[in-house]
Amino acid sequence: MRLPLYGFVEGDTIGVLIMADDGESVRSLANKLRAAVSLRVRTDEDMDVLYRGMVLDPSFTLSQARFEPLQRFDLRRKNGVSESRNTR
Amino acid sequence: MLKREEWLSLARKLDWNFSYTTEEKVFPEGISGSPWLPHSVWKNWEESFKTSYREYVENQHDKDMAVYAVRDAVGRLENVQNLATPWINGLKLHAATLPLAEFTATIGNLRSARFGRDSAWRAMACFGALDEFRHTQIPLLLMHELVRWNAQFDWTHKFYHTNNWVAIAARHFFDELTLGQNAIEFQIATNVVLETGFTNLQFVGLASLAHEAGDYMFEKMVTSIQTDEARHAQIGHPVLALVLKHDPEYAQYLVDKWFWRNWHLFSFITGTSMDYMTSGEQRSASFKEFMEEWIVDQFFRMLDEFGLKKPWYWDIFLDELEVYHHMLYATAYTYRSTFWFDFVLPSPADRRWLREKYPKYWEDLDAIWERIGEHWKSAHSSMDGEIPVQAAALLGFCDLCQLPLSAGSPRNNTANVLARNARNYIFCSEPCRWIFLREPDRYAGHHNLVARVLSGEAPADLKALSTDYFQLTPQTSGKDTYAGRYDWLLT
Repeated sequence: MRLPLYGFVEGDTIGVLIMADDGESVRSLANKLRAAVSLRVRTDEDMDVLYRGMVLDPSFTLSQARFEPLQRFDLRRKNGVSESRNTR
Repeated sequence: MLKREEWLSLARKLDWNFSYTTEEKVFPEGISGSPWLPHSVWKNWEESFKTSYREYVENQHDKDMAVYAVRDAVGRLENVQNLATPWINGLKLHAATLPLAEFTATIGNLRSARFGRDSAWRAMACFGALDEFRHTQIPLLLMHELVRWNAQFDWTHKFYHTNNWVAIAARHFFDELTLGQNAIEFQIATNVVLETGFTNLQFVGLASLAHEAGDYMFEKMVTSIQTDEARHAQIGHPVLALVLKHDPEYAQYLVDKWFWRNWHLFSFITGTSMDYMTSGEQRSASFKEFMEEWIVDQFFRMLDEFGLKKPWYWDIFLDELEVYHHMLYATAYTYRSTFWFDFVLPSPADRRWLREKYPKYWEDLDAIWERIGEHWKSAHSSMDGEIPVQAAALLGFCDLCQLPLSAGSPRNNTANVLARNARNYIFCSEPCRWIFLREPDRYAGHHNLVARVLSGEAPADLKALSTDYFQLTPQTSGKDTYAGRYDWLLT
């Protein structure tokens, strides 16, 4: 089933629409979002996927993680924004 | 012949008792507004200008002649061509978003000219309608000459007839503010909040920047418009005073609601124009400084004199003042192909100035400009032009203000989801969610751009969306003003 979601990356200025499928993995969803925002923010580092306040297992499918259409999910740097900037 | 003072009060104050119908039927609450009060409560409604029609026509004629004289002297195509390119693009933003919105205020005023609750109010609203018609015609006239030079100026008239995402947001705002509004809410929202508060950003702040930028035509146009606004804005004050007396909670709600709606729209239109589309040496003050002087200080002092409180979201507003229009501009820059004007990349000097003016979040914002600059450097060695420096994913929009989900800060975007009647709504901020929840039936049926894409009404591909749905062409769609070839970026 098609699953439109709003993705937010820590450090970015906007939430973007990501078209996903409920059978795809959390990792795949995160990669789509990374590609969508890479013009504005660095995304080549370790990031957690958060949904409803929980860090998700990247191997879960979106269906297993109980994603609902038009919900928000987040990519957050494991080390935080400032630390990531200092390591550039 | 009667002297002015002998007939004016009769001409302005001409109310009568109805013999074959009722006051409730002549002024139904749905269109006259709430709280519904008998005319005996409104009969002392008064404003200070007390203009007659003859005086109005003579004054407006003189003002029009002054505008035309300035146009003949300094408002020709060659004058505009000499202005800084970023400023010209800010002009395109204003030219598109405001003149036809002024026309919707003609309609709002005409509704008050019929359904306002006192004859003096109705007489003043007639002049207000004529004012707003003038505010539509002058910019249309001035910008028309520019179309043959630059097709993006065609959006002065075209903008509201498109489904461009900015037009969707602006229509959502002005449709509610002026076109679909009862007389009481219209006067409070338009006269008190917009015209007494936010248009000062245009008429005083932006006019002074226009002077610095050498755009004397724009300066003259907005100051001429301001003289009209100063008069008809007076309608709203006695309306607010009476509503406040009879339903203070509702009066507070209307001011809080419309302050927030104005804040978001003008952050985009005026905030980005002042801080990004005005050249560094021409910026006499930042958007935040203008806001602090004209809104935080003067407007809220006026509300305090009325006995109104600061909005409950005051701290959120002060925080957004530091960052919101910067979030919007950085977003918009990367989605510039969806606009009808061109964007400029802030230079290192601009960024130093912005850091000084907006220290709280600038470090995170600066990282975004640094990143975009890196993409430009890579793009210079490719044959793809601007494409590698343009976003491709569809951006998300708030279900209340219809602007991008760019509230909060880069580290903490405040977008939040509301499940209601088997549909998820998303809001950029808590105040947008609050306004929606106060009047859900008013807002729930609106389809934002994402909903239109998902229903198949609009294409999902951003390029097709820009051309087929937003009606942009290769000639008119937004670009980087200098195609990314900034000296400081090339060295």
